Amino acid sequence: MDAIKTTGLTKKYGRKNALIGVDLTIEPATVFGYLGANGAGKTTTTRILAGLIRPTNGTAVVFGLDAVRDREEMQRRIGYLPGEFVAYRDLTGRNYLTFLANLRGNVDWSIVDDLTGRLGLDLTTRIGDLSHGNRQKLGVVQAFMHQPDLLLLDEPTAGLDPLIQREFLSLVREAANRGQTVFLSSHVLSEVQAVADTIGILHEGHLEVVESVEVLKTQAVRHVDITFLSAPPTDTLRSVAGVKSLEHNAKTVRLTVEGPMAELFQIAAPFGIEQVVSHEPDLEEIFLSYYRGGGDQNVPQPVPQSIA
Amino acid sequence: MFRNLYLKALRDQRKALLGWTAGIIIFIVIEAAIWPSIRDMSAWKDLLAAYPEPMRKLFNLEQFTTGTGFMNAELFSALLPLFFIIFGIGRGARAIAGEEESGTLDVLLVTPLSPGRMLLQQAAALVTGVAVLGAGVYVTLAVSSVLFGLGIGAATLAAATTAMMLLGIEFGFLALAIGAITGRRSLAIGAATTLAVAAYVLYAAGQIVDSVQPWQPLSPFHQALREGPLGGGLSLSFLWMVAAAAAFVLAAIPLFSRRDIAAH
Repeated sequence: MDAIKTTGLTKKYGRKNALIGVDLTIEPATVFGYLGANGAGKTTTTRILAGLIRPTNGTAVVFGLDAVRDREEMQRRIGYLPGEFVAYRDLTGRNYLTFLANLRGNVDWSIVDDLTGRLGLDLTTRIGDLSHGNRQKLGVVQAFMHQPDLLLLDEPTAGLDPLIQREFLSLVREAANRGQTVFLSSHVLSEVQAVADTIGILHEGHLEVVESVEVLKTQAVRHVDITFLSAPPTDTLRSVAGVKSLEHNAKTVRLTVEGPMAELFQIAAPFGIEQVVSHEPDLEEIFLSYYRGGGDQNVPQPVPQSIA
Repeated sequence: MFRNLYLKALRDQRKALLGWTAGIIIFIVIEAAIWPSIRDMSAWKDLLAAYPEPMRKLFNLEQFTTGTGFMNAELFSALLPLFFIIFGIGRGARAIAGEEESGTLDVLLVTPLSPGRMLLQQAAALVTGVAVLGAGVYVTLAVSSVLFGLGIGAATLAAATTAMMLLGIEFGFLALAIGAITGRRSLAIGAATTLAVAAYVLYAAGQIVDSVQPWQPLSPFHQALREGPLGGGLSLSFLWMVAAAAAFVLAAIPLFSRRDIAAH
């Protein structure tokens, strides 16, 4: 049985279409990365799957349970971290988790201890006194604590520092290895790419691409700035496979590269590299290049003065 | 304290409840302490006669000559209903709409707890809170009656306190229901308060203007206050209030269950 299956999922707010005809199938025990810019419809999708809002058209089915008709039954199997997680300010973390554990039943407290230990969360502090990052950790713990069959995580790493982000991603991976399904929304490719099996890219309410991470990685277009010790070998670099465009000034070249960069660096290294700055590919570019079969390049951006 | 939503909701109102109960107790004791000096005032009847007739009717000023009548006029005709209703509306509006606006409702709903049961548990917590207020009124007045010679009987007092509680519960449930249906706390407070004021105006107008009188039974205030409320005993009209309160919550369940929960 599919962990998640949506058919023609559509949500309208008045005249505005937040989500348009999304067909999505996610297999159990996998991590699905749901990528999209802010406002693309990620939160709308997640809230439909959580049973908090109803689709205008289409259906969402989680483990065979309809998100509208079988909502309560479905919600038993979900751990949900909202995009903006808010908990009761006047409770301590421990009281809050105790309350949720009682509502859900069957929570093994040793799992809570393990999660809080790994994320470094103090449960004795009033939630109102916690930093934003620590509140987010509490949100992660409450979503994971009952080891639900499906984890719905909406921008989960917002506010987490890099070390904790890594710990979080290993929690996600372990969950999938245990057989849990993870639906993880984000606007950052690198974060999702590190942990997801499959990635879906949402653009203005349309699900544009669903592809395995491996395939997307090879097609991803990245910008990289290489500063050489002397004049850059522009012609040599231009001829390297995967290089889509090249711009340069006295010492720095800005390259648009598709796929792996191993060959590029092998060829560039003998010329003496002073510095390399790689830029996160943006989502727009990824799916544009996906659609064009990687054949076309994007408008190159000027090399910033700071690195030139 | 965190075993279920009902207990958590009780815990959440403990401070408000403590404050309100303390305030009401102090207020009642002061009123009761005034009574002996009022009773002994010889010119009292002349003073009352000088009031315009509508005032005398609305506040039952003729009753001022007995302890029961004095308490009816001073407490049970306006101030205690006001306290109970404000408490009920405040708690009712906060219960669901307040949680939704603050953003805590999301995680609460993605549990085995259904919207319907959430509404019922919040309603039960509101009734419990109002009952604590009612117990405060009852005990304080029973003790004050002995101390200051008000001469209010236990059964009479129980019935009058019940009337106050029912007013608080009815308008509290109304605010709870509006909040659950709309998800907006200010709207729940505003609409429930407006309806409470309208109900009071209907009741007051019925006391003074004869042509309004036939409509007066529609007002919860009439249903609660018409028998005294001190001295009337348990009135059958109380059942209307119970029915209306239950209807508000029951009507809200399917609407709350079906609507979208606002993202924070």
